[in-house]
Amino acid sequence: MSGPSGESRELGKRLGVFQPLLFGLQYLRDRKWILAIVIVSSVIATLFRLLVPIFIGDAVTSIQKVQYARVEYYSILIFIVSSVSGGVQFIVNYGSQYISQSYAYNLRKDVFSHLVRKKFSFFEEQTSGDLLSRSTMDIEASRNFILNTASQLIPTLFLIVFAFALLLSINPYFAGIFIIAVPVLIFIGIIFQRKQRTHWRRIRTYYGQMNEQLQENIVGNRVVRGFSAEEQEKAKFSGTTGSYYDEYITVAKLRGKYNNLMPLVVSAAATGILLYGGYSDIISASVVGPLVAAVNIFSLISFPVSFLGRLIVFSENARAGISRIRTVLETDKDETLEHGNPVRLAGDLRFENVSFRRDETEILKNISFEIKTGEFVGLTGRTAAGKSTLINLIPRFYDSDSGRITIGGVDVKNTTLAMLRKSVALVPQEINLISGTIRENISFGSSDDQMDAIKWAAKIARISDFIESLPDSYETMVGERGITLSGGQRQRVAIARAIITKPGILILDDATSSVDPETELEIFREIRKNLSGTTVITVTHRESALRFSDRVFSLNSGILQEEDESQFSEVVRGEDRS
Amino acid sequence: MPNEYEEQEEKYIPMQRGSKAFRRLLGDIFSMKRESARLIIAVLSTAIAATLYPLSLAFAINGVISGNFDTLYTYAGIFFLLYVVQFFSNRERTVSSTVLAQSVIRSLREKAFENLQYVPVTFFGKVKTGYLISRITNDGETLSEFLTFQLPQVVSGIATVIVSISIMFYYDFNLTLYALIVIPVLMGFTFSLQGKVRRNYLRTRRAIAAITGNLSENINAIRTIKSFNVEKRMEERFDDLNKTNFMANMKASLLASLYGSTIRIIEAVGIAIVLIAGAFQLKAGLASVGILVAFVVYVQEFFEPVVQLSQLYNSYQSSMVGVARIYGIIDFPRQSSWENATQHADFRNGIELRDVSFSYGEDEALRNINVRIRKGEKIGIVGHTGAGKTTMSNLIMKFYSPTEGEILLDGKNINEVNTGEYRRLIAPVLQEPFMFKGSVYDNILFSNPDATKEQIDELAKRFSLGEIFSHLPQGLMTNIGEMGRNLSEGQRQAISILRAFVRNPEILIMDEPTSQIDPYSEKLIIESLSDFLKDKTLILITHRFSMVTLVDKIIVLNEGNIVEQGGFKDLLDSDGVFSHLYSIQYGESNGN
Repeated sequence: MSGPSGESRELGKRLGVFQPLLFGLQYLRDRKWILAIVIVSSVIATLFRLLVPIFIGDAVTSIQKVQYARVEYYSILIFIVSSVSGGVQFIVNYGSQYISQSYAYNLRKDVFSHLVRKKFSFFEEQTSGDLLSRSTMDIEASRNFILNTASQLIPTLFLIVFAFALLLSINPYFAGIFIIAVPVLIFIGIIFQRKQRTHWRRIRTYYGQMNEQLQENIVGNRVVRGFSAEEQEKAKFSGTTGSYYDEYITVAKLRGKYNNLMPLVVSAAATGILLYGGYSDIISASVVGPLVAAVNIFSLISFPVSFLGRLIVFSENARAGISRIRTVLETDKDETLEHGNPVRLAGDLRFENVSFRRDETEILKNISFEIKTGEFVGLTGRTAAGKSTLINLIPRFYDSDSGRITIGGVDVKNTTLAMLRKSVALVPQEINLISGTIRENISFGSSDDQMDAIKWAAKIARISDFIESLPDSYETMVGERGITLSGGQRQRVAIARAIITKPGILILDDATSSVDPETELEIFREIRKNLSGTTVITVTHRESALRFSDRVFSLNSGILQEEDESQFSEVVRGEDRS
Repeated sequence: MPNEYEEQEEKYIPMQRGSKAFRRLLGDIFSMKRESARLIIAVLSTAIAATLYPLSLAFAINGVISGNFDTLYTYAGIFFLLYVVQFFSNRERTVSSTVLAQSVIRSLREKAFENLQYVPVTFFGKVKTGYLISRITNDGETLSEFLTFQLPQVVSGIATVIVSISIMFYYDFNLTLYALIVIPVLMGFTFSLQGKVRRNYLRTRRAIAAITGNLSENINAIRTIKSFNVEKRMEERFDDLNKTNFMANMKASLLASLYGSTIRIIEAVGIAIVLIAGAFQLKAGLASVGILVAFVVYVQEFFEPVVQLSQLYNSYQSSMVGVARIYGIIDFPRQSSWENATQHADFRNGIELRDVSFSYGEDEALRNINVRIRKGEKIGIVGHTGAGKTTMSNLIMKFYSPTEGEILLDGKNINEVNTGEYRRLIAPVLQEPFMFKGSVYDNILFSNPDATKEQIDELAKRFSLGEIFSHLPQGLMTNIGEMGRNLSEGQRQAISILRAFVRNPEILIMDEPTSQIDPYSEKLIIESLSDFLKDKTLILITHRFSMVTLVDKIIVLNEGNIVEQGGFKDLLDSDGVFSHLYSIQYGESNGN
């Protein structure tokens, strides 16, 4: 399923209220026949419900004419008609729920699949709390509209048409009075819709902000506590809930005015019919049955009409939600994992005149180097010199602005991302363990969840002894963010997670910074021993790690330089050697 | 697998029963006296106007039958006037019900948020972030529809029913009894479904929380997911939860839809009974045609709130499950020392760890630790990973309480010392620096909102940290993205350090503060630190011996025990764990 096409959006702009509906239809392609059943059922249910006041009118006429047998006849008819309408109503309610849930299901699926394919830069701009609200509550807002549209909009519109037809059959003048009310209703509806638009947009934004602040506060709870910033945080959150509240009240005021105007217009028309009908009945001394039926029809449509007003509210809420969901559905920041020729990559790693820019600043300038298969290379340099950027270019988490990166002579851009990342494993600075057991975490990236392989990887990462000392061993649950493990333990689990995939190139981005130097060296030795064909690049500030490496590069001010072993102590200390 | 977690969570955060939560919620609502009064008046006016209009219709029709124009005009006029009254009362009702609903939701969210600031730190290890967010935002939202639309409707419904029945009894006692025959059937039907409906909605709330939880985890782990190429697998997992959510909602909807349809049929039975009975009454000369018409309208009017009640009932169940989940957070016991710690935090002599042991679960992370830190003393804690260093700082920060033994501040157990005051003495540089969305400045000012940008610039200059940020497009004004994603780990550490320094604390706790800062920058920081630290107490956890020059005493931890302590030189000479660690970092190459 793809994002909305330009055409439908153009059309949507013009149709306003129905815009979320057009958007929704894209996610209901395979549910079309159910949608048709629901629509037909809703028409039938409405038709039958409208027969009730007619039969009541007929029954009253029979009573007036003292034909009591007919009263029983009409009573039974009323019962039958109501039962049918009740039964069909079930199809409408359940069916529309089915449609709206299918819509939400499909949309959520689509949103998720876009989300996991977004480039890194997308997550640098968006916040996870806000993305969370886009993928849950914004979808819910639009689902609510779809639900109410499927179950209520169509019946309401049919109801109005039927009411008109019935009135026409009872008395054309009644119908005439009714038709005057319709444009007034539409006019009120349009004004109502326009006035609340911006407010819903803000409501949805504040809701996202609320999620965002919660997320930050929960994840950063130690910092908040550590600096006793609780009051500050409460004030910040309260500011957001306050703005959210204010917008809601503004919408409520609009709703109070415009939404309630709608039934008032209907009742004015009913009064008109009562006056006109009553007057002419007295003049012609005819039976009151038709008049009772006509006024009854109005009392029946008064609620649906006011519901139309609420539907406008739902629609605006949905619209604001959808425009936020679109940020995720837009494809310009998506990666295509399977696009291209799946060429296997193996061999020497080469950078040829690679440059990278971020926000006008040149982070990497014309970098060229070559690393042979199986080499162990150290990369060092000042903080924020661009070391992480450089290694992130290899698995194409970012793309270089110019130059070429090749593995075994093949440009990394000439294979699929899936293939590339299968042969390059990067352990980032920031470790993220998933919730689950240690076993699940280690086998996370591997199709191989054999215990042997897991133990093998854990042993290389020097974490197996620790894991085995735990009561549940490899089945120990680690919290959402691996909360019960120390920083160094977490880093080692992450290293095991990379090792088990037996990558061609293993990149450790300061991934042993919380591991003591002794253990670090043991890990390096194990890697060298067990993964002899694997090229290793480690970013480090430790002299001991540099000494271990076959070759060492330093990156400073965007320029890469190979270092001689005699200079390591100066290199790590960053002393001026010019 | 997902269900296991949800059950654990519900066990960990106990939930009140629906009816109890509802009573508590009503208490919250009625505490807003003015708004509740406005709402009740508005609702009652609407209800009264709504019950009177069939009557004016009846009189108008009677006027038509009797050929009386004046009666027709008068009652038609009243008929319309009643709708005008309804317009104004409904308008008032819309606004006041939203004010009530949104105020309640807002205060629930704020209370939950507030309590989150004081629950024990262990809470966050047990409950997943996304689930927590879902409780506070999504579950809160279920109340909106219920409180804004359904609750006032039911109040007005009940009022309508009472007024309708009174009028009906007044005009025709027997016919009214006939009209009410179906009520017991209806009530029995409704109550028989109660338990099922509630279970259904609990399932839907859990399902959406699981979706939120999964999303939150995936978004936060996006780099790992991409690194390991597991997008497809994550999609499959998400799809399972998405399907579960779909099924849970469909199941809830099946019952709700069946209920709605059955109500409609019961309504028709009611009308038919009134018509037939009415015909007999009329035959016996006991009722007028106009009254019969009014009765039919009343029965319909009467069923309208009942039908709405069916919707309300579903919404009620769903909201009560939601609100009970928020109350669960609000009621979660705070870290014990928040509430009853009344002692002031005076710091003149020192901090002492006395026989302190601690375990996160089964294994002891720290065993029998005895350390005395005099005011102004600088101590270093070193040891292998997992030796318990960070645990020790967590205990001193009062994030956890020792399982055995006590930590004393000037001889007072810190559990009895006011936590806010106590933590104000301390500034931590945590192992994993957490960044908030905003600029570099915002993140530093976080710890001390009174500080100025000039002070920060001055601090950055003093510790030579300015250069670390020099590549940023707008310097310290640069927006660093959520969790500082636009920065390198080293830059984040620099912020974390400045954040602690700008607070000018009595006690500085630094946990691997420079592990990802290059040695050159580190050297500059250390040079300026000794001056900054004068008169301050320092607790430094580190692997890097470059910083050890700052401390007076070193404590070496190994597997939760103190194995060595003393001055730098003594330890180096004593050929123990410390000198071994040191030689690896600075000694000869152990490379091959």
